[in-house]
Amino acid sequence: MAEVHILGIRHHGPGSARSVAEALAELRPELVLVEGPPELDTVLPLLADVDMVPPVAGLVYAVDEPRLASFYPLAGFSPEWVAIRWALSIGAGVRAIDLPAANTFAMRRTAATPDVAAPGAYRPDAIGILADAAGYSDPERWWEDAVEHRKGGPLDRFAAISEAIAEIRATDSRPAEHPDVVENNLREAAMRRLLRAAMREGHENIAVVCGAYHAPALVPAGFPAAAADSKVLAGLPKAKVTATWVPWTSHRLSFRSGYGAGVTAPGWYQHLFAHWMDQDRPVDVATTWLVRVAHALRREHLDASTASVVEASRLATALAAVRGRPSPGLAELDDAAQAVLCDGSPLPLAVVHRELTVGQEIGNVPESVPTLPLAADLAAVLRSLRWKPGALEEVLVLDLRKPGQLARSVLLHRLQLLGVDWGVPTETGRTTGTFKEAWTLQWDPELSVALVEASRYGTTVASAAVAAAAEQARDAQSLAGLSALLSRCLLADLPDGISAVVPALAERTALQQDVAPLLETIAPLARTCRYGNVRGVDTAGVRRILDATVVRACVGLPTACAGLDDDAAAAMRRALDAANDGLALLPDMPPGDWRQALAAVAGSDRIHGSVAGRASRLLLDAGVLDGGEVAARLSRRLSLATPAPAAAAWLDGLLSGDAALLVYDPHLLAIVDGWISAVDEEVFDDVLPLLRRTFSAFSRPERREIGEQVSRTGSSGAPTAQEGLDFAAAAPAIRTMAGYLGWEARA
Amino acid sequence: MTNAPAPADIVRAHAEDAYAAELNALAGVDDRPRPPSWRLSPWAVTTYVLGGTLPNGVEITPKYLGSQRLVEIAVASLATDRALLLLGVPGTAKTWLGEHLAAAISGSSSLVVQGTAGTPEEALRYGWNYARLLADGPSREALVPGPVMRAMEAGILVRVEELTRIPSDVQDSLITILSEKTLPVPELNTEIQARKGFNVIATANNRDKGVNDLSSALRRRFNTVVLPLPDTLDQEVDIVTARVRALGTALELPAGLAELSEIRRVVTVMRELRAGVTQDQRTTIKSPSATLSTAEAISVMTNGLSLAAHFGDGTVRAQDVAASLVGAVVKDPVQDRVVWQEYLETVVRNRPDWKDLYRACRDLEASN
Repeated sequence: MAEVHILGIRHHGPGSARSVAEALAELRPELVLVEGPPELDTVLPLLADVDMVPPVAGLVYAVDEPRLASFYPLAGFSPEWVAIRWALSIGAGVRAIDLPAANTFAMRRTAATPDVAAPGAYRPDAIGILADAAGYSDPERWWEDAVEHRKGGPLDRFAAISEAIAEIRATDSRPAEHPDVVENNLREAAMRRLLRAAMREGHENIAVVCGAYHAPALVPAGFPAAAADSKVLAGLPKAKVTATWVPWTSHRLSFRSGYGAGVTAPGWYQHLFAHWMDQDRPVDVATTWLVRVAHALRREHLDASTASVVEASRLATALAAVRGRPSPGLAELDDAAQAVLCDGSPLPLAVVHRELTVGQEIGNVPESVPTLPLAADLAAVLRSLRWKPGALEEVLVLDLRKPGQLARSVLLHRLQLLGVDWGVPTETGRTTGTFKEAWTLQWDPELSVALVEASRYGTTVASAAVAAAAEQARDAQSLAGLSALLSRCLLADLPDGISAVVPALAERTALQQDVAPLLETIAPLARTCRYGNVRGVDTAGVRRILDATVVRACVGLPTACAGLDDDAAAAMRRALDAANDGLALLPDMPPGDWRQALAAVAGSDRIHGSVAGRASRLLLDAGVLDGGEVAARLSRRLSLATPAPAAAAWLDGLLSGDAALLVYDPHLLAIVDGWISAVDEEVFDDVLPLLRRTFSAFSRPERREIGEQVSRTGSSGAPTAQEGLDFAAAAPAIRTMAGYLGWEARA
Repeated sequence: MTNAPAPADIVRAHAEDAYAAELNALAGVDDRPRPPSWRLSPWAVTTYVLGGTLPNGVEITPKYLGSQRLVEIAVASLATDRALLLLGVPGTAKTWLGEHLAAAISGSSSLVVQGTAGTPEEALRYGWNYARLLADGPSREALVPGPVMRAMEAGILVRVEELTRIPSDVQDSLITILSEKTLPVPELNTEIQARKGFNVIATANNRDKGVNDLSSALRRRFNTVVLPLPDTLDQEVDIVTARVRALGTALELPAGLAELSEIRRVVTVMRELRAGVTQDQRTTIKSPSATLSTAEAISVMTNGLSLAAHFGDGTVRAQDVAASLVGAVVKDPVQDRVVWQEYLETVVRNRPDWKDLYRACRDLEASN
C-alpha cells in the first residue's frame, strides 16, 4: 500500500511554502501531486528551466475559444512552485491533479450564467477562515504564530491543519445543490481519481500539495468508493484545451485571478519567504524590512535616519507585545514606520507601498514554452517585417508612403486596439505632412501579459483587433468615442472592424441630439468614405450615415451656435473646422446645405464672434463670400458699438490659421489696423491678449510681412504691394516651382 | 499625584480620581508584564482607554472612541521610552487621550506644562526661589523644579500641551531631556537623571497657522500619532452622547438626554459643514472658517442641555441648541454668516423633519 502524505497549504502562503519545503526534504516522496488542472502536466517540466523566473502563470485555454482561459499564477513563495521545483530538481515525478480544464471550460461554456463557475469562487481560503476565527487579520500571521511556532516537525503541522479544516468542513451548512458545493465535489472527485491512479501505478511514497480546504477529502483512508467518484464525473462535457506559461508580475499577483483570491502584499510575502529560507541570517525579519522601507523613503528624498529605523524596529516589537503577538507583522511594521519615519502621516508610506509591499517583480518564461496563437502570430508578423522589440524606449518615425513602414504602422495601430501599448503615438515634430507618423516604442514585459489578455479576442493580430474593435463599439459611451474608433480601424487597416463599428455609429448618430458631436463625427466618416474603398470597406453604408449626419448637423447648426460661452464657442469652432476639413475630402458631396448653414451662422450678429468669424472665413475660403463682403462684415463687427472683446473674438475666428488673408488683402489689413488704432486705451488692454494669441499663431515671416505692410500703409497711406514686380528676375524661381508642381515649363 | 481624596465639590476631577475604581479593578486582574514603574501593563492601559469587560465582570467604560490601532501605537511608543506626540485638529481628544494615558500608566495626570506663546524655559526646566537664592546662594534647596523635572525625579509621565505654541528656543530645551534623559543644572554643576518610567506626552495642533513648527531634531525624538476626526456619523454621535452625559452629570444639570435625535442633528450639521458636502453626497456646500470638531459639538449640546434645564422643560429642543450652534459655526461675522445662511436655506430648510431647527435659527436671525 502506497504511503500518501497530504500537505494542505494556503495558495501563495510563504509560511506554507516553507513548511512544504521542510516536509518534502523529510519525506523525499517519489511522486509529488500538485493542485492544478492535469493539462498543466505537459508543461510542468519547463519550470526547471533556468530562464523561468517567477512570478509566472500557467495559462490553460480552450483552443477553439481562447476567451475561455484560466491563469494559475506562481510566485517564488508559492508552495506549489516550491514543490514542483523540488520534484524537478531531484528527478521525482510531478503531476497536477484537479478537475481537467477541458471539463471546466466546457461546463462554463454551457452554463447559463458564466459567473457561477468562475474560478476562484469555489476555493474557500480555509486558512483565512481559521485565522479569522483566531482574530487575525492576516492569515500569514496566523500561520506563522499558530503553525510555524508549534513544536514538532512539518508533518505534524500539516496533520494539525488537516484536522482543523475537517472541523470547519463539518460545520459547512450549505445545501448540496449550492453551485460552490457541486463544483467542489466535482473537483475533489477528480483529484481522488487521479490520486487513485497514481497509487495504482505502484508509487510507494506520494506527497499531495493542495489547498488546505481539500486536505481532509484527499486522505486515502477516508475515500468514498471509486465508483461513487466515477459516477460524479461521468458524462461531463469536454473542450479541447492547451496549456502554457506566461510571465506574471507582483502587481498582478495582488489581483483576484484564476488561483482564487489574490494576495494583498506579494512584496511582503517575498520578503518573509526569502528571510525564512535564508537560515544563516541572524537579523530579524522586522529590521530588514524597515531598512528596506527607509531606503525606499530616501530614494523619494524623504528623511529616514538609521536612528529612526532603530526606533521604528523597537516600536514594532513593542506594538506586537501590546497586541499579544509573538513577533511584529506587516501591520505593526506599517504602524511603526508611519509613527516614527513618517511623522504620523500615511502619505509617505503610500509612496513606497507599491514598490515594497506589492513589489515590482516581473517574471520571465524561457523561449521554449509553447506560445499562444496570438503571440505566435505576432512573432510571425514581426519576423516578416524584420522587426525586433526592444526593452529600451525609442522613438520611431515612419514614412507611410513606403509599404514596409506602412505595415509597421498598421501593426502598431492594431496592437493599440488590442490594449497592447507597445507603441504610443507621439508628435511628429515640425512637419505638417500626413505621411509621417511617430511612435514611442518600449517593450515592457507586462505587455506579454496584455497580449495574453488580448488573446481572448482571437488567434491572429488582425482577427483579434477586429473582435476588440467590435467589443469597444458595443461598449462605447459617446459618439466621439465611436468615430475615433472608426478612425483607428481605418488606420489599423481593418475593413471588418469598420463594418462592425458602422452599425453602432448609425444607431448613435440617430439618437444624438447635440450638433457638436455630430460635427466631430463628420471628419472620420468622410475619411472612411474617401480612403476606405481602396481597403475594401463597404463605403456605401458609411456614406449613408455621413449624408444623414451632414443634413442633421446643417439643420441644427445655427440654433446650436446661439448662446455659447467662450469655452463652448472654442469647442464649436474646432468642430466646425473638423467638419469642414472632412467635407473637403468629398468633392462629390453637394456643398449647398453646409454653406447655407455656415452662412446663417456667419450672418447672425447674435452668435459668438469666434464661431461667426470662423464661419465667415470658411465661406471666404470656399469662394462663397468675396473679399468685399468680408471687409464689410469686418468693418461692421469692428465698429465702435461692438464690445471690443467680442470684436476681437470675431477677428480671431476670421484670421486664425494662416495669415495669407491679411498679407494679400491690404483692404482687410487696413480695416484691422484702423480698428486697433481706434479702440480705447482701456479696452485695448483687454483686447491685447486675444489679438496676441491670434497673431502669435502666424509664422515669423508672415508676422514680419504684416508688420512691413502696416508700416508702409502708415507712411505712404497707399498700398504698395503691386509695385515694382520684376517678372524676369522671378522667372527661374517660378519655373522651378512649376516643375515641382508637375506643370509643363513653357518659357 | 493626588494623595488626599478629592473633595466632592470640585468641578472636574483628575482622570485618575474620576476612574479610580476602574483603575483599581484593572490593576487587580492585570497579571501581564509591566514596563518599569508602570502601574499597569500595556494591555491593561489599552483596555482602560478603549473600554471592555474584565474577566471578573467589571465593566470598563471606553474613554476614547476611535481606532484601537492608534491607541496601541501610542501605548507601545510610551513603552519603548520614546516620547509620544499626539497630532490633530482641535477637538480630536488629544489632551483627553494624553490625560488618560498618564493616569493609567503613572497614576497621575497632574504634571502638565501648558504651552503658550509665552511659556518660559523655566516651565520646562526649573526656576529659582529667589529669596533663597539671595540668602544662601545657589543650592538644591533654592531650586524650584518644574513639572518635567518632577516627573524625571519621580519616574512618571509628564504632559506638554500645545507643544507647537511654545517658542522654538524653549522647545529645544526638550531635546537633551528626551535623548539623554538628563536635565543639566549648570548653576549647581550637577544634573538630574530621569528615573525609569519617565516619559513625555506632547500634544500639538496641526491646523493652526503661525505656530512654531518643531525642529527636525526634536521631531525625530517623538513617535507621532495623528488623531483623526471620527469616521462615521454614528461614531461621532456616540462620542458626543457619552461626553455630554458625563458632563451633564458633573455639572448636575437636571435635564435628561431623551432627545438623542437632537445630538444626531447637531453632529450631522457639524460633519456636513466640515466636509463641505451633505451626508447623502448630493449637495456641495461651503465650509466655514471654524474647525467644527467633535469637541464643539459637545459644547453645543452641553449648552443646549443647560438651557433646557434652567429655562425650558428639561428636554433639549431645537431652540435650545440653535444659538450655540450658530455661535459655533459663525466665527467670522461676515464670511461664515454667508456660509451658514446658504446652508440653512439650501439644506436645513429642505429637510422635512428639520423644520423646527430651521425656524429656531431663523428666529435667531430675526432677533439679532
